[in-house]
Amino acid sequence: MTDRRDFLKIAGVAGAGLVLGLRLDAKTRPGAAAAPEFAPNAFLAVRPDGTVRITVPKTEMGQGVRTALPLVVAEEMDLDWAKVEVINANPGPDFKSMQTGGSTSVSSTWGTLRKAGATAREMLKAAAAARWNVDLKSCRTEKGFVLGPGNQKLGYGALVEAAAKLPVPKDPSLKSPRDYRLLGKRTPRFDGPDIVTGKAIFGLDVRRPGQRFAAVLRSTVCTGRPMAWDAGKALEVPGVVDVVKVPTGIAVIATNTWAALKGRERLAADTTWELGSAQDFNSADLETFMREALTGPGEEARKQGDAEKALVAAAKVLEAEYSFPYQAHATVEPMNATVQIRPEGAEMWTGSQSPNKAQATAAAALGLKPEQVKVNVALIGGGFGRRLGTDFSTEAAQVAKAAGGGPIQVVWDREDDFRHDLHHPATLHRLRAGLDASGALTAWAHRIAGPSILHSWVGQKTPSQVLAEANGALDIPYAIPAIRVDYAEVAAPTPLGWWRGIEIVPNVFARECFFDEVAHAVGKDPLQLRLDLLGNQGLVKFGRDEADIRRLKKVLQVAAEKAGWGRKLPAGRGLGLACHAYDGRTYAAEVAEVSVEKGQLRIHKVTCAVDCGFVVNPAGLEAQVEGGIAFGLSALFTQITWEKGHTVQTGYQEFPLLRLGDMPEVETHVVQSAEAPSGIGEPPVPLAIPAVLNAVFAATGKRIRKVPVDLSAI
Amino acid sequence: MAAFTLTVNGQSHRVEASPEMPLLWVLRDRLGLTGTKFGCGQGLCGACTVHLGDAPVRSCKTRLGDVGSRHITTIEGLDPHGAHPLQKAWVELDVAQCGYCQTGQIMTAAALLAKNPHPSDADIDHALGRNACRCGTYLRIREAVHAAAGQRREVIP
Repeated sequence: MTDRRDFLKIAGVAGAGLVLGLRLDAKTRPGAAAAPEFAPNAFLAVRPDGTVRITVPKTEMGQGVRTALPLVVAEEMDLDWAKVEVINANPGPDFKSMQTGGSTSVSSTWGTLRKAGATAREMLKAAAAARWNVDLKSCRTEKGFVLGPGNQKLGYGALVEAAAKLPVPKDPSLKSPRDYRLLGKRTPRFDGPDIVTGKAIFGLDVRRPGQRFAAVLRSTVCTGRPMAWDAGKALEVPGVVDVVKVPTGIAVIATNTWAALKGRERLAADTTWELGSAQDFNSADLETFMREALTGPGEEARKQGDAEKALVAAAKVLEAEYSFPYQAHATVEPMNATVQIRPEGAEMWTGSQSPNKAQATAAAALGLKPEQVKVNVALIGGGFGRRLGTDFSTEAAQVAKAAGGGPIQVVWDREDDFRHDLHHPATLHRLRAGLDASGALTAWAHRIAGPSILHSWVGQKTPSQVLAEANGALDIPYAIPAIRVDYAEVAAPTPLGWWRGIEIVPNVFARECFFDEVAHAVGKDPLQLRLDLLGNQGLVKFGRDEADIRRLKKVLQVAAEKAGWGRKLPAGRGLGLACHAYDGRTYAAEVAEVSVEKGQLRIHKVTCAVDCGFVVNPAGLEAQVEGGIAFGLSALFTQITWEKGHTVQTGYQEFPLLRLGDMPEVETHVVQSAEAPSGIGEPPVPLAIPAVLNAVFAATGKRIRKVPVDLSAI
Repeated sequence: MAAFTLTVNGQSHRVEASPEMPLLWVLRDRLGLTGTKFGCGQGLCGACTVHLGDAPVRSCKTRLGDVGSRHITTIEGLDPHGAHPLQKAWVELDVAQCGYCQTGQIMTAAALLAKNPHPSDADIDHALGRNACRCGTYLRIREAVHAAAGQRREVIP
């Protein structure tokens, strides 16, 4: 029930059948002067020198797709990894949905990329067999060579011309995982050497001949627009060359970024604003409305039995309120895009998680057809969902248009980035549990109240938004006779967006912490109660997903065992756990070990067990688990709050990211699986907070139900 | 506007700019050295760290007029072939995720190792404790600094 799945459908960019509109039959168009290449599909091209160019249809943002996806092609093709060159796809007819999010990059391309590689391998083999005049079945491939039945050996490069003339097989055989030489082994990141030498080009590093730099003066209120301004003083700043109006504000254009920022400072003093609908928006008011919505009418996300009746009949009812704040993406690379408009069309360079949408929205802003806008996807200095939005790239197109064509790079500073983020919204949660006289859990009710991301994203209420906003809550995996999960939307005027871990983060935080409360209330070990209520369930349908509870139970057992659950700990130290079946695809459990001393919380270790199907690159998986846990832990202490339509937080000072000294040891255990790969970018995130807060309870007896955590309470 | 002569990675550059201009933007927009990153402009994230003489500094908070005759080293000059022990360790231990903050992390770590060739965990946490990484690569950063320190031990007996 991913919300982004809804978004994909609504935006009409999801490909049914062939995965995500990636076309296997399409051919890449080699450059005019390029040497002949063998390119049986859009994903790869073999050159006469034996090097192979692999085109990555997803955006690299640190999750390792520029390594993992080429590895899939290289495995099926039997390539020498050292001869692989990786380039990013451009949105267009060959790549109609490059959207990167929802932990789907590997799972959504797995079938297509294997077939793409296998197709090329079979054609190269056929070309060699024909040249040697031997039976195709007697040939095999290895590390960039075709080997014949005698001692024949030909490099792929030597077969380029012959292979290109052969028919493309419709159904090439795929390798058996037993024969994998690259997949399932640790492969370091393809971009590692360029990153450590400063050669890697992120969006902000794009430099075009004659490029100018722009800073846009936007209202400090998210809905504000400029009414009147005087550009005089801005134009006096050396280096400032122009000041132009765009829909979002006023752009100061200069020969360098600093001059643009200085000019903008001067312009700010001479501008008046119309503040728009958000000018009275306050976090305190929102909280009041959310609290009212906790007991008002709600839309049903899951109904099993009659939870209200069961609560009335219960011998004992537990009730608690959980609270999660607005959050910012806070990517270290601020938003940016570079645009150049030429008579025949436009070109854009930007780190986008939605390259096709960036193309479409820029084209609309420029009065061009999408195919007239070439989008070059740069490396992303942190995405986490923020760069699914195309507000910043569209604005850059508008600036370039207003300023005569560019090339212009629009640079956001840190304050722009916090104020005009597409924030992840706050929620309040009311949870109730009914217990019978024996202490058995008979009823579970979870009400979520807060603004809807999906509503904000598509600009209207959609029937499926309840499933999106209740994701992580409605799929509570425990066998409880009566369950009701519902959602009450509370309006907010701020633009919203998904954040790494999406609604699952607040919902699983509330669910897994309250479940812990229930366990302690009935005197049961929190692990044992979970195992008891996962029980003997097999496949269970939740909303539109189906989860295999056996796989969830297994990861929970592994995490608990590896973390030494149940061992005696010194006073002030505790273990806490949480588990979740992410979209019915990836199963994860985490155990946190914490201590609390003199009001200081220290997170010593997080042990994570995951089952995400076949693991393409174990090195990448471990990095994602560590990073996902860090992202979750960081959110323990951060929040965005609103006063009169302004974010109170405008920088890292008020939004303190987790730092090196705070990072716990992380131990990752993979539960091996023969299933197809699912995804790993998000699943570790939502478990970190409840695991830690359950551990805090174990260590101190203090239950924390509100993020950001107030340490003075413990 | 004034004229400055800067020595960056051993090369001399003449730059005409306001003395107020942060070194970060001189490097990135005037000299084309984009390995030094803009993260916050407030000296809080460390992505813009370069060496001024031997000291790691936040180039976003270093005014051009304050550089004086001190030599500047950026990631491009640490070792152009990526052969610095830290760069090698970073690649071997697969530290980077998105990679954006990593050049600042490496420059901060390089200044630490130059002063303290065998740092403890606490030394590393202290020296790199003000460098933010949103991807959460911290464990590998610490491991890579230790690995590079070991490498150093072999190189410099």
